[in-house]
Amino acid sequence: MTKPVWGALFRPLWLGILSMGILGSCTPDWGRGEPGSVYRGALIANLKTFDPAQASDSYSNQSQFQVYEALYEYKYLARPYEIQPCLAAALPEVSADGRVYIIRVRTDIEFQDDPAFPGGKGRRINAHDFVYSIKRLVDVRTQTYGWWIFDGKVAGLNDFRAASEKLPPLPDSVHPALYDREVAGLRALDDSTLRIELTRPYPYFKYILAMPYAAFVAHEVVDHYGPEFLNHPVGTGPYVLKEWRRGLRLTFERNPKYRHGFYPSEGTAEDSANGLLADSGKALPFIDRAELYIYNETQPMWLNFLRGNLDRSSIPKDNYSQAVDPERGLRGEIAEKGVTLTRMWQLDLIYMCFNMIDPVLGKHKKLRQAMSLAYDVETVLDRFYNGRGIRAQSFIPPEISGFDSSFRSPYGTYDVERARRLLAEAGFPGGKGLPAFSYLTIASTEMRQRGEHFAQNMAAIGVKVNVESCTWPEYLERMQNRKFQIVGASWMADYPDPENFMQLLYGPNKPPGENNASYQNDAYDRLFEKASVLSDGPERFALIERMKAIAAEDAPWIFVVHRQAAVLSYKRLGNLKSHAVAESPIKYYKIVGTRK
Amino acid sequence: MISFLPRRLLHALATLFGITLLIFALFHWVGGNPAIRMVGKNATVEEIARVSRQMGFDRPFWTQYLDYLGDLVRFDFGRSWETRQRVSEMILDGLGPSLSLAIPAFLLGTVVALTVALTAALYRDRWPDRTLVMLAIAGMSVSMLAFIIAAQYLFAFRAGWFPISGWEPGLRGVPFLALPVGIWIAASLGSAVRFYRAVFIEEMRKEYVLTARAKGLAWPRILTRHVLPNAMIPVLTHVVMELPMLFTGSLLLENFFGIPGLGNMSINAINASDLPVIKAMTFIGAVLYLGANILGDVLYAVVDPRVRVS
Amino acid sequence: MRDLWARIRRRFGRDVLATTAVVVIALYILAGLLALAGVLAPGYSQQIGEAYAPPSAAHPLGLDVLGRSVWERVVQGSRVALIVGFFSTVIAIPLGTVLGLVAGYFRGWMDAFVVWLYSTLDAVPTILLLLALALVLPTGKGLATVCIALGVTSWVSTCRFVRGEVIRQKELDYVRAARSVGATDSRILFVHLLPNVLHLVLVQASLVFVYSIKSEVILSYLGVGVQNFPSWGVMIDDARLELVGRGVWWQFAAATAALFVLVLAFNLFNDALKDALDPKEG
Repeated sequence: MTKPVWGALFRPLWLGILSMGILGSCTPDWGRGEPGSVYRGALIANLKTFDPAQASDSYSNQSQFQVYEALYEYKYLARPYEIQPCLAAALPEVSADGRVYIIRVRTDIEFQDDPAFPGGKGRRINAHDFVYSIKRLVDVRTQTYGWWIFDGKVAGLNDFRAASEKLPPLPDSVHPALYDREVAGLRALDDSTLRIELTRPYPYFKYILAMPYAAFVAHEVVDHYGPEFLNHPVGTGPYVLKEWRRGLRLTFERNPKYRHGFYPSEGTAEDSANGLLADSGKALPFIDRAELYIYNETQPMWLNFLRGNLDRSSIPKDNYSQAVDPERGLRGEIAEKGVTLTRMWQLDLIYMCFNMIDPVLGKHKKLRQAMSLAYDVETVLDRFYNGRGIRAQSFIPPEISGFDSSFRSPYGTYDVERARRLLAEAGFPGGKGLPAFSYLTIASTEMRQRGEHFAQNMAAIGVKVNVESCTWPEYLERMQNRKFQIVGASWMADYPDPENFMQLLYGPNKPPGENNASYQNDAYDRLFEKASVLSDGPERFALIERMKAIAAEDAPWIFVVHRQAAVLSYKRLGNLKSHAVAESPIKYYKIVGTRK
Repeated sequence: MISFLPRRLLHALATLFGITLLIFALFHWVGGNPAIRMVGKNATVEEIARVSRQMGFDRPFWTQYLDYLGDLVRFDFGRSWETRQRVSEMILDGLGPSLSLAIPAFLLGTVVALTVALTAALYRDRWPDRTLVMLAIAGMSVSMLAFIIAAQYLFAFRAGWFPISGWEPGLRGVPFLALPVGIWIAASLGSAVRFYRAVFIEEMRKEYVLTARAKGLAWPRILTRHVLPNAMIPVLTHVVMELPMLFTGSLLLENFFGIPGLGNMSINAINASDLPVIKAMTFIGAVLYLGANILGDVLYAVVDPRVRVS
Repeated sequence: MRDLWARIRRRFGRDVLATTAVVVIALYILAGLLALAGVLAPGYSQQIGEAYAPPSAAHPLGLDVLGRSVWERVVQGSRVALIVGFFSTVIAIPLGTVLGLVAGYFRGWMDAFVVWLYSTLDAVPTILLLLALALVLPTGKGLATVCIALGVTSWVSTCRFVRGEVIRQKELDYVRAARSVGATDSRILFVHLLPNVLHLVLVQASLVFVYSIKSEVILSYLGVGVQNFPSWGVMIDDARLELVGRGVWWQFAAATAALFVLVLAFNLFNDALKDALDPKEG
């Protein structure tokens, strides 16, 4: 430990600095694989699992639908959103009373190859696979978030769930006996015929059969991988999962056994003008390999998109003015790169929810109405959504049936003077006599800023609001336990039926259900019970109109915004049409021309 | 020579017991009822109670604690509440990316710090030393957050010299890692330089240096041949004590640069209140710290036989 | 005691840098107190102009996303920083000093326990421990929790130093003399030993102060810090996105600079303090 130390100290330093200088200026090698056959997209969150029973967020949905399929899928081009058969041979035959569904299942489709199957060869699907998949979902021990989509809807299914509660937890005991148990409302009559019997005639049930929760899984695969099933997706879809590097990237490759998908041949005149019908009838998918990059922050995604490393990207809030001019067109420097802009209604509602069991907020309707009037939603739209969206007047967003652009809530405008008057009428002139309210939100920069803006607005009429941030799980827990006063919330459609939104204010759905406000209005509840079993039509719309009026007057929520997404993509990505329910159906995309 | 080792290990074992107890107790009370997370949204009180019972969450604290110890011995950290992955697997997945950031940053950082500190010591109390010390203090005063945000904005976004974020295994990862490694070095340089400089100056005050000086040896020669080797003991101890840092890397750096390592994993786990992951990371961090401590003591004893740990 | 102050005064009288540092710290404290009293920057939450208005004569540091004055928010941030620094130090330093004194003086099982306690605490990664504490404390999220969490985690090095020094000093003549005239243990500890380890405690207090201020920024940035009030960490969190997306640099620059200057002043102050109290320097 004498002389050599000195020299040894210096050499690695210079080597290090040199190598940093040389390599630091290179850009990473994004051009692997053949140009034209690779799609590169982004996910703005960590993907959690590949188990369809855990597909509770839109990122999981997007990823899982590349591999898994259900009986039905959404038509790619049709608007309003409609379903078409996927693993089913045809649309369901529904009995006259709307309660019994007979569904033909295709038996010419095979699961992808996987070691879980005998001989490693994926076998053909059949109706029993569907019954198994739903039973697995409903089994308490699967611990799914998706139980609510079937809860109380299918005859005998709740009994099945109750029976599963008595068994020891998975994976110690699989208990095939449970799965042999007959469920009256869910039966495979033979390999290709399903019979589903509903407790009431829910017209939107067909959409539930297209949700990822209802995807076909093979019992061999579930049994083979046990708790590791979530890492081994085995489906019938256009792609197979090749690599999953957590926190970095998902890689899919074309499923060589996929033969049953074809590009749609019906579309609007606009679709045809946009060249979206050029590939009608062609076999899917067009792209051999799809890579989804995972970003925790929107900034790196955006910059990688600008450099051409991603084919498609949303626009982060703070970069919007960089990309889009005030006339809502694409800015020159972005358009020159060969980028196009598409917009799409997100089928969602951003709202502020009052806790109706709060002694002050729940009791004073005029106070809630005043707060609704004092909230400057136009500024919210401008500041936090870059004008992407409209002020919400009711719970139903554009492109969902029952939406009426002429409907106005009496408290859906920004009117500070009226707010002050109402506040005084409520017995709190200038906010006198009111306690400080807590506004609960998720601990993210944007959510906190929105809360601070809300507090600023409320301070203008003398109502004091404190912003309280918490983590997502804590947020859910406090909603369930009703431990909040005002909360910032949002709801995205699970399926394109107004029922999905109306149920949020249905009395019996109080926490732990989705009615976070604990709102209870008997007139509303009776209307809901009628409207939820009707098909779309004048009768149903009349009921919905009355429900909207009740909700607006009672103001358990402040209706804030329905968002419109703006998506950018390079022109090399063809056949692109934004889809709000089934996001990123890569099988329809194609790459035309080459990446720069 | 290292006869103190058994006692040292006994101490470590006691500390380890304390660590597990602290971690378990803390998360036992922080976490609320894990059953709520397992049952999922819209669960009823009865459902939660049933899962609690099934999973044994309603048993007494000590029984659960003993189970926890048993799992730890088998390197079983359970499954993440968020992703349901095996935590041990997640840790193994994240180790590579973390080390690919931490090891170069650590090695380069130490070399740079030693070099700067030697230079400062050589010019002790003259202007190069004064400047370097001022810079070191200034560097120490900048928040890590500011370093990261400013450097990412200026060098990656504005100048475009580096990719904004991302990670690749192997050599392809070098461009991605260059900037975070640079930031790590810059951010840690200040305090390291000050520490090493103090060590060198302490050493330079010793008699043998004065003797060498009297014999007419030049400063650079004295420094490299005498001071540096002798200062190796405190330097080595310092280096060893920093080793546990390599494991978590820098939470913030990994998060900002999208490096899928353990730091990033911890931040995600914190945001999701994913207690099994946080618990595992805390435990492993603590064990590494203990290990480094013992290693430091052993090295100390090996290098300098006079030392005996009391 | 008097000797200690004399040494400090002498040292700071000579050193321009150290004196400047003291003045800067005093200014921050003054600003914080005035903000607390509602004299300075009372309108920090009000909209006073266009969102993201750049620095101008009317608004020297510009405005933020909600049209609030960045200057007023920076001032309010210094109030938060000083509160956190002060209260964590007030918790950590007595805790560390007393435990260190007791452990070093009595040795035996008490010493073993204290050493075990601080080894355990020291081993657990600080940021994770802080986050867990921030979640578990009954005070809920906010300023009080941050102070308590930082206070109960940062006494370790004080305790370690004090314990070491007490072990060294308790065999010295003055302690033996006190014991021989029948002084009680508590008298020896607090009347005789404490003043002689005070120089260590003083330096540690200054270090804990700086550490707490820096930690608050990170905690607030991670969303478990101060709630419903502008702190530098919250401001940096706000500024991060608008900096890259919109080129809005003033909020980032202001919060970072405010933090930098205060921490720098403390670091310089701390150096001078250490030098003044270092027996080698006389």
